[in-house]
Amino acid sequence: MASGPERIFQGNGVSSGVTVGRALKLDSRNRVILKIHIDDVEEEARRYQRALATSKEQLTALKSQLEEKLGSEHSVILDAHLLMLDDRALSDDIVASIRSSCANAEWVLEQARNRMVSAYESLQDEYLRERHRDIEDVVERILLNLSGSQPFSWESLPEDLILVSHDFSPSNFVTLDLKKVRGLALESGGRNSHTAIISRGLRLPAVMGIRDIAGSIVTGDLLLLNGDDGQVIVNPSQERIESHRHRIEAVGVAAEAAPCPSGRRILTADGMPVSLRANTELPHELRVAKRCGAEGIGMFRSEFLYFRHRHGFPDVEEQLSVYRTMAKEMSPYAVAIRTLDAGSESVADKPDLASQINPSMGLRGIRLSLHIKEAFHAQIEAILRASCEGRIEIVLPMVSTVEEIWQAKAVIDKVRAHLADTAGISLNLVPVGVMIEVPAAVLALEVLAKEVDFLCVGTNDLIQYTLAVDRGNPYVAYLYQPLHPSVLYCLHRISEVSRKFNKPARICGEISSNPFFAVLLLGMGFSQLSMNPLSIPTIRRVLSEVPAGASRRIAKRALQFATAQEICEYLTNAVSKLVKMDLTSYAKEIAVLNDLSEG
Amino acid sequence: MIRQSIMVTNRLGLHARAAAKLVQLASRFSSEIHLSREDANQRIDSKSILGILMLAASQGTRLVVSIEGSDEAEAGEAIRQLFDGKFGEEN
Repeated sequence: MASGPERIFQGNGVSSGVTVGRALKLDSRNRVILKIHIDDVEEEARRYQRALATSKEQLTALKSQLEEKLGSEHSVILDAHLLMLDDRALSDDIVASIRSSCANAEWVLEQARNRMVSAYESLQDEYLRERHRDIEDVVERILLNLSGSQPFSWESLPEDLILVSHDFSPSNFVTLDLKKVRGLALESGGRNSHTAIISRGLRLPAVMGIRDIAGSIVTGDLLLLNGDDGQVIVNPSQERIESHRHRIEAVGVAAEAAPCPSGRRILTADGMPVSLRANTELPHELRVAKRCGAEGIGMFRSEFLYFRHRHGFPDVEEQLSVYRTMAKEMSPYAVAIRTLDAGSESVADKPDLASQINPSMGLRGIRLSLHIKEAFHAQIEAILRASCEGRIEIVLPMVSTVEEIWQAKAVIDKVRAHLADTAGISLNLVPVGVMIEVPAAVLALEVLAKEVDFLCVGTNDLIQYTLAVDRGNPYVAYLYQPLHPSVLYCLHRISEVSRKFNKPARICGEISSNPFFAVLLLGMGFSQLSMNPLSIPTIRRVLSEVPAGASRRIAKRALQFATAQEICEYLTNAVSKLVKMDLTSYAKEIAVLNDLSEG
Repeated sequence: MIRQSIMVTNRLGLHARAAAKLVQLASRFSSEIHLSREDANQRIDSKSILGILMLAASQGTRLVVSIEGSDEAEAGEAIRQLFDGKFGEEN
């Protein structure tokens, strides 16, 4: 199967999942279009009209597909694209110009594109100036249909494609055939880019920030893309594919999430209630969450609202309509909205926020929100007003000192008072929680717990900060061990303090999607787990087969080992004995997560 | 023939999605509907999305709509409602 040796490219995994497919390179940056004299201008005009008709058919088909996957909010842009294909400037005018200049359609179209784009680039309004991308996308599609090489005639392409490109703008998603594309490998972009957010919403595994990949591979190369550890492997060996088999199959299944009964409490085998909630990033994901039986949204990452604006911030009304819809749709369950958790890179146009050398320890999360008060006020106002429509909770990210909670709560009180005074709106109290994701918060947890209504454990960051390991750095990635004893001590402590102060603690990290970890967390005393919605049905089944008493004994024992390896071996063994379901593939997953697969 | 002045009030201005809505609406009427900026001479057909985009009408821009045809009154009213409703973007 493999032709040539394996080659490994390292990037940042931004959308979870492992996938295997053939590379499809999208790169039009270096194209040159030459002017060619045409004798039969009528045939050339017909050739152009055929390309237009093909483009229209493609867009119409994609529109209904995208509507189904992401909702109409993301597909209306295709109406604009379809109208452009009908526009005189791209139909009659081009045909007339082919006739008068006796030139090839590509060249005529390129001239028209250049005129339109340069008109756009001279605009004052920054938002509108960026919109030339829509015109570019449409012209690009016609050019590709003219070229006859047909990279976008999806029907002729094989299944299981992995797109490889330098960059990929959110608007490019509308050009994908989501039935065939299995992954995204890009040279540019990062975890917080809008493209990354949409990839996660689509459950499309993606790796970004891969250096020099586009020039090193050709369309048709076999790739294994791992959206968890950020590796893209060209010509993967059969053994390597086999070792990822369970993960690859999980992605296929994930696309068609099976409906799951909801409304019935989830109980452990010995009758202890547990609550499984969903982590989401796009409002549209609520449907998936409900279908998977989520008892609420344990953490809604609100960043997508901000990334829609390259400049400035979303205003109250825009956020209100999103939060309101979510609250209504999820009722009677609660939606926990995590306030903006971006670094200053997303507000780079603010002149007083220079770029930071070490952004993960810089101005981000609540630190940033307290720095850009106006935007924070707007988000709090929208959340408070939406709370009239259903159950909403506020979660403050990246808190490291109690003063940050005081300041944030002061803002919340002030906005509440203001709403009562000016609009006469009297609001229910909205529960306020805090993300526990830095070691400082774990160590001083008693101080923080007194000030809030609940605790959310952000395990991904907590592991990174506790172990001082940047998961995206290939030199130290092997040290990223969710089962490291230090991580378990932190979790144990959080559970103890939560019980002592009677403040519920919820795990909001990817680790709770793994059945072994879920049992360990249950045993440590965490009965609220929030995860990727698609993992809920499996975890639900596993926990209902496990007695809480047994899980407590497992957790107690796990805390006595010295290394992640010993903990992993013990845990997989002990849990497998309790559960009827075949967990072999998840055992491999937890070993890989802890980088113990070779051990 | 109707001439009416209209203001772009939605925050994002006449970008692709808003322009698409305007074209779809204008195309339902048989009247000729043209748009121009109050501060420029360029006159465009409101059934052309690329034309509308070229107006580069950001929030606060004043436009003149001229409508001529048998259904001009209905068209004028419908267009006013679309602008006043901020193209359904900020409800």
